[in-house]
Amino acid sequence: MLQYVAQRLLQAIIAIFGVLTIVFVVMHLSGDPTLLLVPQDASAEMIAQLRSQLGFDRPIGVQYLDYLGGLAHLDFGDSIVQRVPALDIVLSRLPYTIQLAAGALVVAIGLGIPAGILMATNRGGMIARILSAVVVTGQSVPTFLSGILLIFIFGVTLRWLPTSGSGSLAAMIMPSIALGALSMSTFARMTRISIIDELGKDYVRAGRARGLSMAQVVVRHVLRNASIPVITIAALEIGNLLAGAVIIETVFAWPGIGQLAIQSIQSRDFLVVQVIVLLISFVYVLTSVLADLVYVAVDPRIRLVR
Amino acid sequence: MKAALALIAASALALVASAASAQTKDTLTIDLPNDAATLDPHLQWNTDSYSIYRNIFDNLITRDVSGTIVPQIATSWKYLDDTTIEFKIRDDVTFQDGSKLTAEDVAFSIKRIIDPALKSPQLSQFDQIKSAEVVDPVTVKVTTKSAYPALLAQLVKLSIVPKAYVEKVGNQEFNQKPMGSGPYKLTEWKKGIETDLEAYGSYWRGKPPFQKVVFRAVPDVSTRIADLKTGKADLIRDVPPDQAASIKDGDGTQLLSGATERVGYLYINAEAGPTKDVRVRQAIAYAIDKQGLVDALLEGYGAAVNVVGAEPVFGYTDKVAGYDYDPEKAKALLKEAGAEGAKLEFLTSPSYSRALVEAMQQMLNDVGFSVDIASSDQATFLKRRQGDAANAGSLAFGAWSCACQDADGIIFPLFRSGSIWAKYKNDKYDALVDEARSILDETKRKELYAQAYEILRQDVPGLGLYQSYALYGAAKHLKWEPTANEALFVMDMSWQQ
Repeated sequence: MLQYVAQRLLQAIIAIFGVLTIVFVVMHLSGDPTLLLVPQDASAEMIAQLRSQLGFDRPIGVQYLDYLGGLAHLDFGDSIVQRVPALDIVLSRLPYTIQLAAGALVVAIGLGIPAGILMATNRGGMIARILSAVVVTGQSVPTFLSGILLIFIFGVTLRWLPTSGSGSLAAMIMPSIALGALSMSTFARMTRISIIDELGKDYVRAGRARGLSMAQVVVRHVLRNASIPVITIAALEIGNLLAGAVIIETVFAWPGIGQLAIQSIQSRDFLVVQVIVLLISFVYVLTSVLADLVYVAVDPRIRLVR
Repeated sequence: MKAALALIAASALALVASAASAQTKDTLTIDLPNDAATLDPHLQWNTDSYSIYRNIFDNLITRDVSGTIVPQIATSWKYLDDTTIEFKIRDDVTFQDGSKLTAEDVAFSIKRIIDPALKSPQLSQFDQIKSAEVVDPVTVKVTTKSAYPALLAQLVKLSIVPKAYVEKVGNQEFNQKPMGSGPYKLTEWKKGIETDLEAYGSYWRGKPPFQKVVFRAVPDVSTRIADLKTGKADLIRDVPPDQAASIKDGDGTQLLSGATERVGYLYINAEAGPTKDVRVRQAIAYAIDKQGLVDALLEGYGAAVNVVGAEPVFGYTDKVAGYDYDPEKAKALLKEAGAEGAKLEFLTSPSYSRALVEAMQQMLNDVGFSVDIASSDQATFLKRRQGDAANAGSLAFGAWSCACQDADGIIFPLFRSGSIWAKYKNDKYDALVDEARSILDETKRKELYAQAYEILRQDVPGLGLYQSYALYGAAKHLKWEPTANEALFVMDMSWQQ
């Protein structure tokens, strides 16, 4: 088990290193931030001077080695735009992203899994039909539209919730719903399919034959067996949510990683982008390792081997 | 006893009533598209940073509502010779820590921004300054490298920072905890979220109009408008023209618009591609319906212009005739040049209105061009637009403001050969704008710019489209007059019940 985790972590380090290198090269090839920093009337010499002061006139290989050298000392460098350590900027945004991801996850799992169970056990029924309409809506309405619609209805017209900001629980409700809607649909569909799959198996008939009610069979046996694919999805969804939600964060002025990422990419604030990339890769790797460990806990038939 | 009670009750009522009528707004909330990049006024210069930190600091000189340069920290100035100017400094100004602002601080501020070690992106606006020396506690002498007529216009953008404090805490700390002599001091900077300011009680120009000011970063314009409509924000920046009507007629909201020095223009590559032929460039000029753009896409919030410049800009001239919308003439010129169906690449980025670019594409296609829009992100766009002429496309839209209200800040960088933006070379033009930036005689400068504009009219390396209006959404009770340089000074605002 320990060996397994160690090996996964080693793979992760190689993967993260690869991602960092690709991002570094792509970002540097597509222009540097100097042009975006200077006023419009700057002369070519001024731009060249600032570029050299910021170190962007050096060959890309040298800049890359320099960057890696910093990383080796856990020095992530300073933001070119804000002139403060890049790590501080990203870390200051992280709590907001975690908050929003948690809110969205509550919406997604809290509504998605029960909806999936109901849809599976109540196939063809009225409830299942209504629920599947809800799920399809959650899945197909783009977030920029649902976000603005929510603001318009609950913020501007009814005035129940604040239209933007991040300071209170009330401010979390709309972004959580808008962001959680898509994951909710994924959870509902996944739960439904895996339960239907399990319901066709022999042990269900055996249980029924022993006189257990359908509800008892589902709760005691089916749910546990159906949970493996749902856990896989959950790991991916948590990764997605923690990677930040660019559109939702922009629409609701929610100061998370997603908004920061898009702004930093636009302003070519390289070092901030690199820290975000590092963080997101790390989250993905971590959630997938955790999912593997949860498999073992849930289903003793699974063994972690090389 | 009864009478006494009644008297007390009446006076209590009167007190309540007077308290109510004297009640003013305590906190003003302003929604900007972005947070400040830095609060050190000598570092980043973009509009959002400007909007915030210029309320924390004072400027050496400033512009009044009509656009005239007037004293602020400097009380007066005079030229000793063509390259030396002497400023007299107020002696009743204190920084927010109570220390006195002196000539030392002014000289320090100038020297700090021109020091290459600070790596300030604003350096190019002040690089004509050679040195600043303290003569006595209320006098500073500034020397320029050569006679430099735009000096005062550039100094409008110079914030005065406290020498002792900056030296004590260092540059990095100063950026986090800025302290100036302006009407508002920083209470908390929640990066990326909001910046909280509080009135500085001993401000030399009197009591600031609001006790607190909160600048929030709200990137999405629909959300800014929702904030304004629900009273979460009192003032919002960057309202798009197609949303203006809902704010203008809104319940409790008003639209504030002001003509600016910013001018929308079409760049035309005079050094490469089909537009190398002047007749093709003239055809483009005749093919664009400027008034149509203003009416249809800006909803009238703009004014068509004859040159790349506008009324509030020194050197602007109404003597040079603009190109009228004349598609027939455009077709004829195109035919004469043998360039019918010429392929033009129109560079753009998401920073510019897609609708405007597509409208111009359509107008040009109507007279016989074949225009392709090449959209990329801003960094890539700038790299091409400012790079080698052969790779700089044929056309691009831009909205230019130097925030200096001087033609030297517009047509010099745009069209003087050798400048990064210029894809054009005309020796006569170069000589005119070179001379105009090296003499102080205003009448003569105006004459030179009029001649320069006339050359631009014939050669069309670019086409002035419209003077743009800044649009703000505001709560009905906010009284404020937007200025041509798009500055946002809370000190100029007030709240009227």
